Amino acid sequence: MARPEIVAGQAAPVADAGPSIPLLELEGISKRFPGVRALEGVSLAVCASEVHMLVGENGAGKSTLMKILYGAHRADEGVIRFKGQPVTVATPADARRLGIAVIFQEFSLVPFLSAAENIFLGREFRGPIPGTVDRRRAAREARALLDSLGIDLDPATPVHRLGVAAQQLVEIAKALSQNARILVMDEPTAALSDRECEHLFRIVRRLRDEGVAIVYITHRLAEVMALGDRITVLRDGHKVAELMPGETSTDDLVRMMVGRPVKAVFERRVRFEPGEAALEIRGLYTPSGLENIDLTVRAHEIVGLAGLVGAGRTEVARAIFGADPVSAGETRVFGKPVQDTPNKCVRQGIALIPEKRKEEGLALIRSVQDNLLMSALWRLFPRGWVRPRPAQEAAHRMVESLRIATPSLARPVRVLSGGTQQKIVVGKWLSAGCRLFIFDEPTRGIDVGAKAEIFRLIEDLAERGAAVLLISSEFSEIVQVADHAYVMYDGRITGHLTAAELSEEALLRLAVSRE
Amino acid sequence: MILLITGFASVRPAFLSLPNITNIGLQSAILLIIALPQTMIILSEGIDISMGAVLSLGGVVLAMVLVTGGPVYLAFLAALGAAVGFGAINGVLVCLVGMPAFVVTLGTFGMAQGIAEVLTDGNVVVGLPAGFEAFYAARPLGIPVPILIAAAAYLVAHGLLYHTRFGTYVFAIGGNREALVLSGVHARWYHFGIYALGGVFVGVASLLLTARMNSGHPTVAIGMEFDAIAAVALGGTSFERGEGWLLGTLLGVLVIGILRNGLDLLMVPSSLQGVSIGILVIATMMLDRWGGRRS
Repeated sequence: MARPEIVAGQAAPVADAGPSIPLLELEGISKRFPGVRALEGVSLAVCASEVHMLVGENGAGKSTLMKILYGAHRADEGVIRFKGQPVTVATPADARRLGIAVIFQEFSLVPFLSAAENIFLGREFRGPIPGTVDRRRAAREARALLDSLGIDLDPATPVHRLGVAAQQLVEIAKALSQNARILVMDEPTAALSDRECEHLFRIVRRLRDEGVAIVYITHRLAEVMALGDRITVLRDGHKVAELMPGETSTDDLVRMMVGRPVKAVFERRVRFEPGEAALEIRGLYTPSGLENIDLTVRAHEIVGLAGLVGAGRTEVARAIFGADPVSAGETRVFGKPVQDTPNKCVRQGIALIPEKRKEEGLALIRSVQDNLLMSALWRLFPRGWVRPRPAQEAAHRMVESLRIATPSLARPVRVLSGGTQQKIVVGKWLSAGCRLFIFDEPTRGIDVGAKAEIFRLIEDLAERGAAVLLISSEFSEIVQVADHAYVMYDGRITGHLTAAELSEEALLRLAVSRE
Repeated sequence: MILLITGFASVRPAFLSLPNITNIGLQSAILLIIALPQTMIILSEGIDISMGAVLSLGGVVLAMVLVTGGPVYLAFLAALGAAVGFGAINGVLVCLVGMPAFVVTLGTFGMAQGIAEVLTDGNVVVGLPAGFEAFYAARPLGIPVPILIAAAAYLVAHGLLYHTRFGTYVFAIGGNREALVLSGVHARWYHFGIYALGGVFVGVASLLLTARMNSGHPTVAIGMEFDAIAAVALGGTSFERGEGWLLGTLLGVLVIGILRNGLDLLMVPSSLQGVSIGILVIATMMLDRWGGRRS
């Protein structure tokens, strides 16, 4: 096993010629998935000593491109060239050999090992006796590596004691210890505070100056302008522009990311007169990072909550469910202060339809009927004895009224489609008597046809008098479905758009920067 | 632990006498030897409940070879082979096939116990050569052999866990197996190694067990896996995220040894000792949980 070599600080000087020679070129890359063209003839040139910004809306193709870069997907068409030579990147191991390292949003660290052990995991320094490890040398090398990056961190600290920002720095050090020359960072600042971001930027700039090529994926346009040397904008699987930060502005970028008017998959049939306030959040501050949240959702109303990953949308949902501590402010549901446990929340009439519906919302091997009635049994049969006939009738009524496509009530939900499963989750809460529905990314992983059905379902809910909060990072979804929408950035609400003001461009502008 | 020691000492002054302290050490030696690999298995998010039965089986095999006139080293190798064999079966099923450790070791528990009873017809194997027992009672440098062997086992386990690649991967398998695989390590073989290593320790323990009893008893050590798991838990090793330390297990073993010894002196029947160990484990876990929430 090769001894890790410390690369930072001793990179070859990359004089004037440096930035113009691409280290890695992707040319004419296309990738199709069943029913979707994820990438269409996209080219990307990554140069040493350059921070290459990759921007685009959700679904534009950024993550597919990233997966092709490190060998998790193979392109259907196109070539990848490394220093001018065509190469195959079929597996992550191929990518590693070429010096490509990816820092994911979810880190691949072992919590109860030290930073040093994590950095050299799988490539331990051998001790004097076969099989043993030289921990002192590992600590020393880790320290040298961290010092060369200007990271002030004790390599002996177990990583579970480190914050997100420090863990990220450990990941970067790990990548560099593997001689990474091309560093791909996927939304590295999504979970960082302003000061931590500044520190990260300094390190990114330093790596760039030492000759590392950096592909930086982000939604935060301020970072794009401040840190980028070159910007590639993706939209719907196409590359729409490659430019320098000096040639453009955040407004231009937003326009390029959104581009042509969205083809609507759904149109609202009716809008309803808003009723009583179902959810009121007033001046809410939480230790989880929310600041001064004000928000109202009324009966018969569909309210959008837009924002990028890490903007605080999920924290708002958790606050409504009483799942996190509160430092100031209050949340009222149907006029009453919110209860502190999810169980009581259900009895108050709040339904949360989580993003991971399979893990959190459904018992997959159980039948349609069991899932529909799971949360309603205490109401239907308060004495605890479940009578089969009324249970079946209740389930049947729900299948009819939501038009759930299932051949029988006994069918396990595992075999049904994503859209149908989503309906069953909704049906479960409806039969429990819920009147406030919180949808967290309801259409993730659902095809276009089923999307329209989900939107119709949400509209149905509003018609029945339910209040709906629609949390989404797909802005076209909010534009099509919501009556009005709040936009979040960095734990704060940065804007409120009425039906007339709602547009993808307006949402995106509020979501990418604090204005 | 200090609480226990002062408590027992004040009620029964004999508790603190040197012979009794040695006695606690002797009683704890076998437990420690099997609690060490149990710690590693639990660190890797597994569990081994077959250890007590396999330990009994090893003892029976050892005694039978000795009774038929086999030399001690051959008897020991046979017992070691049986124990490592069961460790390997556990390892293959858990780590290579991917079955849940609890179910697998429940199965091998039954198998080992059944084989031990078939081999002995349910009887105790007696009539071991006279010299065999002597080594258990020997005291080089004034320290009883079982305590020396347990101490050596502890040092070996410590070295493995904290100073080898294998040990680093034990923590990594429990903490984030995916990260280890992504680092290009053949995690499943290291994972298998943890269970096989457990067999080695159990084999060594069976030598001490047979010497102490001066016989091979097919069910004598059943229940000892319970004490071993309890010791690991008392020592503060987490059952789900690769967090823990070996010294904690040593302390856990001593707490259980002291508790059993002290209760013996107070004439508390052994069934009630089990109850008190159970209460102690659960109480410790609850304190730990509350403490963890606050911090």
